[in-house]
This record gives sequence, structure tokens and C-alpha cells, in this order.
Amino acid sequence: MAVVSRADNSKLARWWRNVDRPTIAAVGVLISFGYILMLAASPAVATRIGASRDMFILKQVIFLSLAGLVMLGVSMLSLNAIKKLAIVGGALALAATAMTLVHGMEIKGARRWIALPLMSVQPSEFLKPCFAVVTAWLLAERRKRRMFPGLPLAIVGFGVILVLLKSQPDIGMLSVITMVFMTQLFVDGLNLVLVAGGVAAMIGAFFGAYVIFPHVRSRVERFLHPNVGDHYQIDTALRAFGNGGLTGRGPGEGRVKDLLPDAHADFVFAVAGEEYGMLVCLFIIAVFLFIVVRSVLKLMREDDPFVIVATAGLATGFGLQAFINMGSTLHLIPTKGMTLPFISYGGSSALSIALTIGMMLALTRHRIGSASGQEPSFIMQKTVSA
Amino acid sequence: MIDDAGHQRTPRADRSAREDVRITDGDLRLRAAREVMHKRLLFVAGGFGILFGAVGLKLAAATVWMPMAPEKRQIAPQVPDIPKSDPRGLMAGDFTLPQVHRASIVDRNGQALAISLPVAQVYANPQELIDPEDAADKLMKVLPALDRAETVRRLGLKKQFVYLARDISPNQEIAINNLGIPGIYFEPGERRHYPLGRTAAHIMGAVDIDDHGVAGVERFFDKRLTSDRTPLTLSLDVRVQAVVHDELQAAKDNFQAIGACAIVMDVRSGEIVAMVSLPDYDANNYAHATDDERFDRAVTGMYEPGSTFKLQTAAMALQLGVAHPWDRFSTIPIHIGRFTISDMKTDHFAPWLSMPAVMAYSSNPAAAHMALDVGAQRQQDWLRAMGFFAPVPVELPEAGRPIVPATRNWGISTVMTVGFGHGVAEPPLSIVRGTAATANGGILVKPTLVSRASAAPAQATAPAAMTAPAPLTDPSMAKPAVVTATDADDVVQPEGPRLLSEANSAIVRKMLRLVVTQGIGKSAESPGYFVGGKTGTAEKIGPHGGYLKHVNVSAFTGVFPMNAPRYAVYVMLDSPKPTPQTHGWTTAGWNAAPTVSKIISRVGPMLSLFPDAAHAAEIDATLAIPMEPGVPPGYRPLGPGNDPGDPRNREPATKPPAGHGRASRPDSTVADLRPREQPAMGARVQTVAAHPSTHLPPPTPRLD
Repeated sequence: MAVVSRADNSKLARWWRNVDRPTIAAVGVLISFGYILMLAASPAVATRIGASRDMFILKQVIFLSLAGLVMLGVSMLSLNAIKKLAIVGGALALAATAMTLVHGMEIKGARRWIALPLMSVQPSEFLKPCFAVVTAWLLAERRKRRMFPGLPLAIVGFGVILVLLKSQPDIGMLSVITMVFMTQLFVDGLNLVLVAGGVAAMIGAFFGAYVIFPHVRSRVERFLHPNVGDHYQIDTALRAFGNGGLTGRGPGEGRVKDLLPDAHADFVFAVAGEEYGMLVCLFIIAVFLFIVVRSVLKLMREDDPFVIVATAGLATGFGLQAFINMGSTLHLIPTKGMTLPFISYGGSSALSIALTIGMMLALTRHRIGSASGQEPSFIMQKTVSA
Repeated sequence: MIDDAGHQRTPRADRSAREDVRITDGDLRLRAAREVMHKRLLFVAGGFGILFGAVGLKLAAATVWMPMAPEKRQIAPQVPDIPKSDPRGLMAGDFTLPQVHRASIVDRNGQALAISLPVAQVYANPQELIDPEDAADKLMKVLPALDRAETVRRLGLKKQFVYLARDISPNQEIAINNLGIPGIYFEPGERRHYPLGRTAAHIMGAVDIDDHGVAGVERFFDKRLTSDRTPLTLSLDVRVQAVVHDELQAAKDNFQAIGACAIVMDVRSGEIVAMVSLPDYDANNYAHATDDERFDRAVTGMYEPGSTFKLQTAAMALQLGVAHPWDRFSTIPIHIGRFTISDMKTDHFAPWLSMPAVMAYSSNPAAAHMALDVGAQRQQDWLRAMGFFAPVPVELPEAGRPIVPATRNWGISTVMTVGFGHGVAEPPLSIVRGTAATANGGILVKPTLVSRASAAPAQATAPAAMTAPAPLTDPSMAKPAVVTATDADDVVQPEGPRLLSEANSAIVRKMLRLVVTQGIGKSAESPGYFVGGKTGTAEKIGPHGGYLKHVNVSAFTGVFPMNAPRYAVYVMLDSPKPTPQTHGWTTAGWNAAPTVSKIISRVGPMLSLFPDAAHAAEIDATLAIPMEPGVPPGYRPLGPGNDPGDPRNREPATKPPAGHGRASRPDSTVADLRPREQPAMGARVQTVAAHPSTHLPPPTPRLD
């Protein structure tokens, strides 16, 4: 890490001193892997769908550059700016998500995307981090302003999102947002009985989805009964891992990837497994775990409930997304199309992840002496002891 | 919520001190809440540790611990099959090449008749090619026949799979592989090849593009050939097959026959040593053979057997006890309805001939009388038992169903015509089988194309009560110079139902020998081989259904050596033309019988049978039967005044023919049993049967 003189009091220098540099480094590692795997996986897919073989790579270079800029830019924002960004961004994303139901682009039976020039945007991707921050703000605000109905407002917001995502339908995103929301309530100190009730409700909702949505039922059925039905995708992915073994086939030597659907997106982890083997894949898992656990444990030294709940929510969303992607690729959980942060191809996904990490970085910045929620309580504590 | 709960409990009376208390209280609550938050953050971190740990474990299971192996096709370009070739010929002689799946077919001596050769298809993934033009140039060095422009075009296509060449040899495959061009791959395959071409083409049959048998033994043994990779050993001997083919082709050319057929069969085991049908085709070129070339005259072709069937009539009469060698039969033409059964005018037979003479000179009316003595029912039973009513049971799917009159129409005219081999049509192999059964001691063997030694090695040890009637006494023949697989177990006993007693079979053998020594089959004799047999000439049925007077099917069915029968030899010529040497004759004695003689002379030594001229007189003495055998005491022979089956006993006989005596014509022709309108054969049989005996001509007293 470059050392910046303490005397340098410019905004950038202060940011560099205070920001969580190991997380930035970890994100850099992930982006590097993303580029390497995109070089391996995307030409095969591009050839298969008849596009130019370098199309995905070039687009991904642009997406990830943008994502890096967004992440760094957001990480420089103050807490208040983050709150405002989340509220405005959340409102926009919510509106856009609602719009997908009317003007959405239908891909594979779901209306989740809005077509823009160069890329299609999935607004719910942006809804996820914004809603986590807004929830944290609502929950924290009710501690400061006693009459503020933070919890009911958060639940209402969650209800709106639930209805929207159920209508798209996007059960995967819905379950991630639900779990993030539940984790935030849990971290916020919700009564354990109510937490248990929430978990029970989630399980009930899961069974409801199983009954209502045929595609959910089919995926769960296929997960529970490996010998029944079509397992082409997951079997191909597992064969790719098997072909890779401990150290992989070598860069560009993967073959099963040619047969994988979405090798560049949902199944990119299998490409990593085939070409680079178990060791590199374990390293990638470790990097994700590092980012999540470091962010969460850093909060142990944090006193501001907003920062704690917001960062916990963002880290949970990020970690869950990585887990769901890797878990479904490895047949640990039912198949759920979800991108692997920074590694899978996709503009929406890269930008929304950048937003998530950027907010996390901004929230976990050292803020001693700054006018944030931490300071008054510190002073109050002194007053009481005095 | 904690806040709310605490706040509600705060008494309104403490309002003045509320500010301080609230701060302290809220601060404490906040501290408590922070404690809870920090504790729960640990749970969140721990939860993620568990989740990602599970992913890591599953990853280890999927990659190293119990990996799921990729399918071969998925990694084929990465781990291509290494081409195998055999430049040093290490696998020569081994017909089970490792990379082919269909078993070879070999003859009884191991000579390959059909073999699958490994070939490869060359394909490319143009996406992996660096320089199509360079690749094409390199490929041209190994495959000069390649079209360069087309290859370059294909290699430049935006595809992942293009074929470049098909059916290249393993040597070419390894040469291309050694070029090291990335993106060029091979697909293993195999192609059926028949190294001997025309030899036994009809027996081999063919396979289709997917290597499934579509004809011949390839079809009959399709499952066996694809499931068991050990070579299928046929009973054929390609040396004998070649000689028979040779001689038959020569005869066919000489007599300008439109078709021909020859069979050599072991009379004891039923093994077919050679079977030729002409015209034939190159088995490698089955797809382009004409229907006439593909037509297997030995098992699919149905021909009226003609006089060769008299052998069956005589055998059944002997076995059923209705006739004895000394019984005599009338040769006087029989008029039945509008038809007449007679011999050729040139034959000049005596009015009554004993059984050996009937066979030797081949008299149609006499054979008809013999059949009448047997009767319709017993004649049918005999022929059915001999297998003449069913497709010949050989391992060829082409075996056809014989054409025989319906049993309900089996009247006396049918009895008579069938008695001398007309009104029925049989495949040549059935005739050979019947001949073998009468001569081998009376056992009906099942003709087979599978080598007996390979099919059932333990069979030869079973001794039977019946032995060859007159074993070869001559040392030179008892100890053949060349021991073939067949001769190694020289005590082969026929297996199958006994249809003829040993004694009666001996009489038949003597009569068959008599045909060749003194009868009309003299041209079949091969000195030292003691040939016996029966000629047969049937007029062909023309396009309008009637018999053609001058178009014959000439056949000779024989067995040699007659003192210890080993092989049945059959030759048939379809529509032979007269030549100066035959003095205008197209009957079997002039064409089929000499061909049999030539075949026996050439294949005998190959089959470890050598001519025995030194003991010819002794052996012929044991085979001799008088042309007019004496009647043993106590028997009243059939003959003049004792002819129970003669329909003329009930009806007036025709006027006797005049001027009998000489009877050394090559063969008697078919009877004049000919409808005036000349309908088709089947129709003719029915026409005859439709005439009840009341329509027969009035009876005439016979001359003795």
C-alpha cells in the first residue's frame, strides 16, 4: 500500500488514509480474475450465439472500468451523501422495477430488464444495495427520533419490493433481498422470537413459491432428485469441475466450457474450475469470504447503528450473491441464475456490485473526528462518566 | 422496540429530570443495543464462514474427492484418440483388429472372406486452424486426391466441424497426425472388405453403410458378428469354391447358359464346401450389382428338378417296400386326360424296365408307375420328410420356399408328374440335400455353411451304429496325403432323421453308380473317383406359361466316391445352348454331367481324396448291380400282369409304342405332359388334377 503523508490533507489523501485498502485490493483481485475468465469463457459463448468472439471481452472491459470508477467514487461519499444516494437511487430503482412490469424486456419468460443503448439494465440489481442502506437508515433513525416509525416503514418498503419482484417474477433476487432484510433486522437486535418467526415465514414463502411457480418447483425437484429429469446444465458444470481437478487443465484448455450454457455469466465458476482447478477456486472463495467477513468484523469497532446495519446488509447481499452463484454451479443448492460478483459478465451486475462495495467502503471509512453518528454518543458517554 | 418499551414505562412525574435520565438511559440502551449488534455481527460472520466453507467442501468433492468424469465427446478435441497403425504388420494374421467391431468371416482353412478394416474420417475445427492454405497444402502431401480449393474453402468456414476426407487408411491417419496441424481430428470407423471379391459373393451377402448385414451370412449372423469378435468360420473351402467357380463359369460360357449353379456338400456333415451361383458379382460392389447377379440360384432359385427327382421316387419305393430292384415298370407312354407321359422317341426303351434300368436310362412313364405304386399320401409324406416342402434350412436369409402343388390337388396326375420331377420347383440345395440323404446311409443331414469343427468340436466323438457301407479298403485312400480339417475326424457320422435304411441306401448307391457306369450319366465319370449320380433335364416354362420345347434346365446331382460317399456334387445349367460337341443336345448328360466330372477331378485332391485306378475293378465290383436283377425266390415281382398302381388297370391303356431296344440317349426329356393351351406350371398342375379319372382315355390292353 502506498503511504501517503499525514501532512497531505487533500481530500484524496484523506480518503486513501481512511478507506479500507485490503478490501479494495481484494476487489482488484476479483476483477483480475474476472478479466482472465472472461477471456477464457466468453469467446466460446460469443461464437455459439454468432457474435464477434471479442464482443463480450470488450464490453466487459468497459463495464469493469466503469464499475471501478463507480466504486471509488461512491467510496468517497460522506455518510449523508450515501443516505441520500440510497434514498434517491432506491426510489429510482423501485420505479424502474415497477416499469419493467409494463415496459420490460422479456428474456426467458421473465420481465426483469429495461433495454438501454449498449446494455440492458436490470433495475432490481440496484434496488438491492439501495434498499439495504435505506432499511438501515430507517432502523437507525427511529433510535434517534423516537416517534419515527422506522420498522413499519421498512416493512412496508419490503412489502412493495416483494410484490414487484414476485410479479416479474424474480424469486432469486427476492429471496436475496429478503435474506438481507432479515439479516439486517437480526443485526439490529430484533427479538429472537421474531427472528425465528421471520425465518419460519421465509420457509413458508419458499414452499409457497414452490407451489405457485412451476419453474421454481422444477428446479427444486431436479435438485432433490438427481436421477429424474434434465440435469444437462448442472451435470455439464460438474463435469467441468471434474475435468479440472486439483490444478486445472490450464488457461484456455477447458473444453466442457464450450458446452456450458451461460459459461460467461452464471456458470463462470465452472470455467474457473476446469481451467484453473480446485486451488484457484478455493482462493476465489477465500477472497469473497475475506471481503464479507472483514467488512462485518470491522463493524465490531463501529458504534453507529446505521453504519452497522447498512454495512451488514450490503456485505450480506454481496456474500449471498457469491454464495448462490457458486453453490448452484456446484449443485449445493437448486439452480438459481445469479452472477458471481466482478467475475461474471454483465453490465448491470458489475455496476450494482460496484455500488454495493463503494457504499461499503464509504461506510467503513475511518471517520474519527468527523461529524458522523459516532461522535455524539462518544461525547455523551464521557459526560455520563464525568 | 427496546426503546419503545422502555419509554412507555417511564413515569410522567419524572418529567423535570427526564432530560438527564433520558440521555443516560438512552445511552445505556444504546450501549446494550450495540452489544447485541456486535454479538449478532459475529453470528453473521460465522454464518458466512459456514456457507463458504460448504462451498469449499463441495468444490473439493466436485474436483478432487469424487469428480464427475467428463463425457468422451466433451473432451474429445482435448484428448483425441491416438491413431493406431500397424506399420510392421504385427497384427497380420490376427483378424480381430482391436479397433474394429464386426468379426471377420473366414473359410474352413482360415482364409479371410470378409474382414472389417479400420479406417478414419478426417475432420477439422476451422476455428482452431491457423492457416487454412498451409494446412491444405500439408494435407495434400498425404492425400493427393484432395481438392485443394474445396479444402481451403471448407477450412475457412465459420464452423466448428467440417469433414475433409473419409475412409482413409491408418497409415494415412498417422501421417496426417504427424503433420501436427492444430484443429485436425480423426473419427475412427471401419469398412467391410471382401478380399476375394466374387468368391462366394452370394454366401457373403453384404453390409449396409452402418455395418449391418443386409444379405447372406452377413445378415443371418449379424448379431453373432457384432457381439463376438472371434472370426466366424464357414464350412466353405475357398480353393474348392474357386475351382467350382472356374469350371462352372467355363461350362456356362461354353454352353451360353443364362445362369448356372454348382454345389459341393459333405454328405455326412452337411457342410457346404462350395456353392456357386452365376452370374455373380464382386461382393465389394454389392450396391451396384444387378438383381440377376444378386439372385442366388442355389437357394433362392426354384427349378423343376426333372429326372434327378426319380432318385427320390426310387428311394421311397424301396424304403416303403412297394418295389424292389428286380421289379419292372412299364415304359409305355401314359395318356392321361389331354396329356401324354412318354419318353423321347429316340430312346426306344423296352416296354418293361427293372428299377436299375429305369434309373440308368431315366424313363418317365416307368418313374410315374413307380410313384403310382407308392401313392399320393406316402409320396407327399416322403417328400415332406425330405424337406422338399419347406425352405432349405441353411444359414442364408435368401432361402426360398419351394413351389409344390397344394395337397388337396395332389391327384394321380400330380403323383405321376412329381414322380419324374415335374410339377414341383425346388432350390438346387434341396436336391443336393435329398441326394446326400439317399446316398449317405439314409440320414437327412441339415446343410450348413458353418464349419462343423468350429461349431461343435465335441460332435465327432459320438459313434453311431451306422457306418459307411463299403469302407474304402484301399490304403492310398484310407490314408490321404493331405489331412484337412474334415479328414482329421474321418469318422463323421451323419446326424439327423433316418429316412432310408442302410441296405436300401446301399441299393440306391449302386443304382446311382450304374447311371454313370452304364447309363446316361457316363460323362460324369471321373476315373478313380467312382462317381454316382442322376441326370435331370427339365423343360423351362416360357413367358406365356407353357413349356419350351428346346429350352432346358440341365442338372446333374452326384456323389463321390460311391464306395464311401463323402461329397455330393451338383451342377445346374439354365438354358444351355447346343454346341457341335453335344451334337445338338442340351440335355444334362451333355453339359452338366461333364462339368461334374471336371469339378470332381480337380477338387478331389484338395479334399484329400485321390483317384484310385489300381483297385478300380475291385471297388466297382462291390458297387455293381445288374441292370436286370434276378428275382429271389418267394417274391412275385412287379411287372407285366402285376402292376397294382397302374391307373390303366381301371381304364384302357394306350397303344403300345413300337421299336424299343436302344436306350443310350444322354437323357430322357420331360414328358409330353403338356396342355394344349400351355398354361403356367401351377395352373397346369391344377388343370391336370381337375380332370377326374373318368375323363381318361379308354383302357387299352398292354403289351408285355
